[in-house]
Amino acid sequence: MAKPKIASDWMAGCAGCHMSLLDIDERIIKIAELADIRATPITDLKEPDESGVDVGILEGGVNNTSNEEVAHRMRKRCKLLVAFGDCAVFGGVPALRNFFTLEESLRRAYVETESTDAEGKIPQDPELCKPTRVRAPQDVVPVDLFVPGCPPDPEVIYYVLSELAQGRKPVLEGDKLHWH
Amino acid sequence: MIQLTIDGQIIQVEEGSTVLQAARAANIHIPTLCDHPELTPYGGCRLCLVEVDGFRTPQASCTLPASSNMVVHTNTTKLQEARKFILTLIFSERNHFCPFCQVSGGDCELQNAAYDEGMANWPISPTYNPYPVDASHPYFILDNNRCILCRRCVRACSDLVGNHTLGMEERGARTMVIADFGLPLGSSTCISCGACVQVCPTGALIDRWSAYRGHVHESDVTETICIGCSLGCGIQVRTRDNQLLRIDGNWQTEANEGLLCETGRFQPMVENRQRITSPMIRKHDQLTPVTWEEALQEIAHLFNAAPGGIAALASTRLPAEALYAFQQIFAEKLHSELVTSTEEGKTTAHAAALARQIATPFEARLDALKQADCVLLIGTDLRASHEVASFFFKRKLLLGTRLIVIDPTPNPLNEFAHLVIKATANSDLFQTLQTSPTGDLATAAQILAQASHPVIIYGEGITAQPSANALQALVQYAHHIKASLMNLKGQANSLAASQYGLEKPFVLKGQSITYLALGDEQPTQHLIQQLEAAPTLIIQASHASALTARAQVVLPVTSWLEQEGAYISFDGRVQQAKAALPAPTNVRTNLAVLQALANCLNLTIENTWKEKLNQSTPAVQIA
Amino acid sequence: MVAQKITIEPVTRIEGHAKITIRMNENGTVNHAYLHINEFRGFEKFCEGRLVFEMPQITPRICGICPVSHHLAAAKAADAVYGCPPPRPATLLRDLMHMGQVIQSHGMHFFELAGPDLLLGFDADPAVRNVIGMIAANPELTIKAVELRKWGQEIISILGTRRIHPRFAVPGGVNKTLTAAERDTILSGLQASIATIQTGLQIFKQWAEQHSEDIAKFAVLTSGYFGLVTEQNGLELYDGQIRLVNSQGAQLEKFPGEHYLDYIAEHVEDWSYLKFPYYKKMGWPNGVYRVGPLGRLNASSHIDTPLANAELQNWRAINNGKPVENTLYYHYARLIETLFATERVSVLLDDPDILSTDIINTHHEFKGEGVGVLEAPRGTLFHHYWAKPNGQLERVNLIVATGHNNWAMSEAVDSVAKTYITGPQITEGLLNRVEAAVRAHDPCLSCSTHAIGQMPMQVEMFDAHGNLLQRVERG
Repeated sequence: MAKPKIASDWMAGCAGCHMSLLDIDERIIKIAELADIRATPITDLKEPDESGVDVGILEGGVNNTSNEEVAHRMRKRCKLLVAFGDCAVFGGVPALRNFFTLEESLRRAYVETESTDAEGKIPQDPELCKPTRVRAPQDVVPVDLFVPGCPPDPEVIYYVLSELAQGRKPVLEGDKLHWH
Repeated sequence: MIQLTIDGQIIQVEEGSTVLQAARAANIHIPTLCDHPELTPYGGCRLCLVEVDGFRTPQASCTLPASSNMVVHTNTTKLQEARKFILTLIFSERNHFCPFCQVSGGDCELQNAAYDEGMANWPISPTYNPYPVDASHPYFILDNNRCILCRRCVRACSDLVGNHTLGMEERGARTMVIADFGLPLGSSTCISCGACVQVCPTGALIDRWSAYRGHVHESDVTETICIGCSLGCGIQVRTRDNQLLRIDGNWQTEANEGLLCETGRFQPMVENRQRITSPMIRKHDQLTPVTWEEALQEIAHLFNAAPGGIAALASTRLPAEALYAFQQIFAEKLHSELVTSTEEGKTTAHAAALARQIATPFEARLDALKQADCVLLIGTDLRASHEVASFFFKRKLLLGTRLIVIDPTPNPLNEFAHLVIKATANSDLFQTLQTSPTGDLATAAQILAQASHPVIIYGEGITAQPSANALQALVQYAHHIKASLMNLKGQANSLAASQYGLEKPFVLKGQSITYLALGDEQPTQHLIQQLEAAPTLIIQASHASALTARAQVVLPVTSWLEQEGAYISFDGRVQQAKAALPAPTNVRTNLAVLQALANCLNLTIENTWKEKLNQSTPAVQIA
Repeated sequence: MVAQKITIEPVTRIEGHAKITIRMNENGTVNHAYLHINEFRGFEKFCEGRLVFEMPQITPRICGICPVSHHLAAAKAADAVYGCPPPRPATLLRDLMHMGQVIQSHGMHFFELAGPDLLLGFDADPAVRNVIGMIAANPELTIKAVELRKWGQEIISILGTRRIHPRFAVPGGVNKTLTAAERDTILSGLQASIATIQTGLQIFKQWAEQHSEDIAKFAVLTSGYFGLVTEQNGLELYDGQIRLVNSQGAQLEKFPGEHYLDYIAEHVEDWSYLKFPYYKKMGWPNGVYRVGPLGRLNASSHIDTPLANAELQNWRAINNGKPVENTLYYHYARLIETLFATERVSVLLDDPDILSTDIINTHHEFKGEGVGVLEAPRGTLFHHYWAKPNGQLERVNLIVATGHNNWAMSEAVDSVAKTYITGPQITEGLLNRVEAAVRAHDPCLSCSTHAIGQMPMQVEMFDAHGNLLQRVERG
């Protein structure tokens, strides 16, 4: 039987969840044996296979138009979508931005900050995505599995990945369930 | 007794019990949030829902009275779903940022409740309306984003402490915890007792000092007593790696029932004085570090050569063992004519003399205050000196207990009193009260007469008077109206110092040397001024002060958190303080220093401090 | 027929989100290549109203690779705001945690992010040109790399309870001591780590020999060089003052980090969410400078630890004592710094104060404003807070590490594009080289924009009339 395909991506997060994944240390070899690791931000495939993957992992919340595309694309191309880490599960620290208007936040960063020179302005180029209200991925696409934590403990991640790699849906409880 | 069934188990409980209490009695776990063992049940969070046969809907077990033959189920599928839904609604209502919250990761009851239900996400996302953060208070923060409206803080503030600062405003989604009528906490009537912080289940109320310094499971706890005053409140001192994290009230201590005041809970955090870490002798007008042997030898030398004799003062914050050693050395062995405490008997001398005279104790225990339905405060500012005592009647003022204050100057408790009389307490006053009161005094007399358990608390307004007449008149009056009499006295070991005879006014009569066993007490301006006349000072103290700055010899001692010892509360309870932190190296306990001093002077002293306490009749029974 | 615009998105094996567009001239040469950093989070705004003492826990969420940098810079800024300088043992312990972080971050970057390019080749099949592919190609080396990162992470976790977003530094100090047993645990991994770094150095030197042509033409840029140094201008990652030298190595400035506003400013371009710091006196764009390993080694005169200092002599020889300008030498500098950090761990653990319980100064004298500065793995990090007396933040300004390298990365992308794109045929390997220009800087774009992003990867070439000529996709 073919190994299950796993792809991941990161949106409005900090990469800490992917770093916690690397914190499974040498057990990454075991995961690589059990599953076919496809596109991730730390490998060179740029997007989940168009032909589809079994497990899609998303880190980070949705805070701009680009993230929205990533979330939709991942949902479309994977059978089981996993929200990885507090940003993906709840919105996380970046969601603090929702207390302010986008205008206020952009102005502070690109015009008002004390180190920005007199020619500060809010970037507008069409090549750039547009910031939006910060949302948890579940408010953009249906999510199948939630793995909270900021970041989730490497033990939790190893458990989740090895279960998924063996075709099982992991159950998080007791020691394995933490939001901090 | 009532018999009911919970999860198939037959349980017997007393009438008046709630279903939650019944479940707890049988070790059946029902999750709760707004409930707290020390507070009246509120029934607000609904997490404690149970299903009862014959009832149409689930019921909040915390407020449901148990009744005979009830059949209760605590963990049906319906309830599990209900609990998840309740928590979902709580999380969606406000803004809970677990990643950086101080209590996240073990100390948040809300988070733990979610874990118990196996919740890995919030099915309903919050709307992110920002809620205000009140950072106006010096000791703690109120972050309304994290509040779950359990009202524990409000209940603690009114039902336990009786200060009624916290309340709720608005309704529905706009409900908010507020101070007074919407003042910042730092400008409100809050008295900084911290009870609200201790009961808050989430990170809504955060203690500034201990934030991020360690979770409960990462810290050590020492159960000991506060020596901030003579109440001897039970405390739990939290430490980590020899650092003080936090002081909590010990709910299990009968005396203070878990309550603390600003002095006990927060003041140790703002200790800013410089620590003395080595014995020192003044050489060439500079305090120079020396060894303990050298310092003690120097003291012996000074004592031997002392013209006019030696005067000695001890702080009433010292443990009883040290006070007795002090008394033996200076009064019994060295025959000093001036051996006293830093309080100079101001709060105890008259009462002690009276007790000896009538050969019986006449003051009541703290229990009497808790039973009181009428309290008369005469000449005492409890807020300044013994605040927790005031909580026991403040919290009953809306339940029928009456408060009368007699004081020549404005008293902080005036705003709680039913009757305020501006007067100096003297024997005439009591005479009038007893025989022919008019006006306010008549009202006071009437209120007192109608009370079943009247308590009179008297303080320095009476005890510091030059003559004992007022006290005698008061005792007589109290006897006449069958009121319990209470005197909070002074600092932690005020009563012990009194029983050891350390009550003389400090008036130098030519003594050239003064030995001051100051301990960790912060010397008052009054004391500093008094000692200005003392030619040579020898001091054992933990922290530097204007006094150590002019001392001839300084011996470093432990602060209160670093030493154990016996403390006798104002009402005669003998308690043991325990050390919660190690002392800095080269620093000794007060007792050890006095013992070393005795040794050096070739004096033999006993450790019969406990027996000595009852050598003369005390004003209050010492247990 | 010529292409109008080539788009590369996302750039992989970096932290964060970037997109590259290459604008072509009518005659088929590259007009300009742009590095668009494509996301924005807004920490400088949404931290307003939070408490200063929360910042060591909020700001690490800027970045999960270097959370400790933010954790410690925030604590330093908080020390300044509250006027509570930490006691010496606390400073040593924070420094120790910082070294753990530098080791894990640099180690991971060299072996796991950049490594695949060096070990498997720029042109290797993208499906295996990653850490997973390295496991297959060289399992022994990969395990050593994992152990090196693990050792650095364990230092962090021993001190702060967890590897990522630890709880350790608080205003005035830290919340935990180091026990003798813990010190010994850390020491036990020292030799193996040094060995792994030496292996890395060998790998790089071999690669450099075989690719000297590439090194000589791949984004060799003229700029200033900027980083913290000791009093004697030795390499410094935790404390010290900032030294800025010009492209010849002559000192332009040396100043305490908290005065940064007098010396640097940030320029905004319409096409990137990441701002461009520059040296005010020389203005934009003349005042551009580079930070991070290459910048730091160029800005310092020596290294206080022996093995790293010996390696530094080799570094100096590259350009006859002058600053080394070749972008690909970032990888070499990164390893030298990892060696320094490892040796520094040993120095710190030997210090008699490292086991002390005097770990916090709780005496506050509120100042209201404070700046925390240190060298994150990727460059100089500034946290600047303004707070009300009640401790609530009024304003926050952050200049984060990689941000200072924004010009350099953009310039490198442009330079490499112009060097290697000479005709209308684009190979995947060519695209990878353009990305490698970014990768060499080990950017932390989450950090620098206080943001992140990733996007679909495809390269399209259009002719002047907008007709699609060629599409190259990865995935």
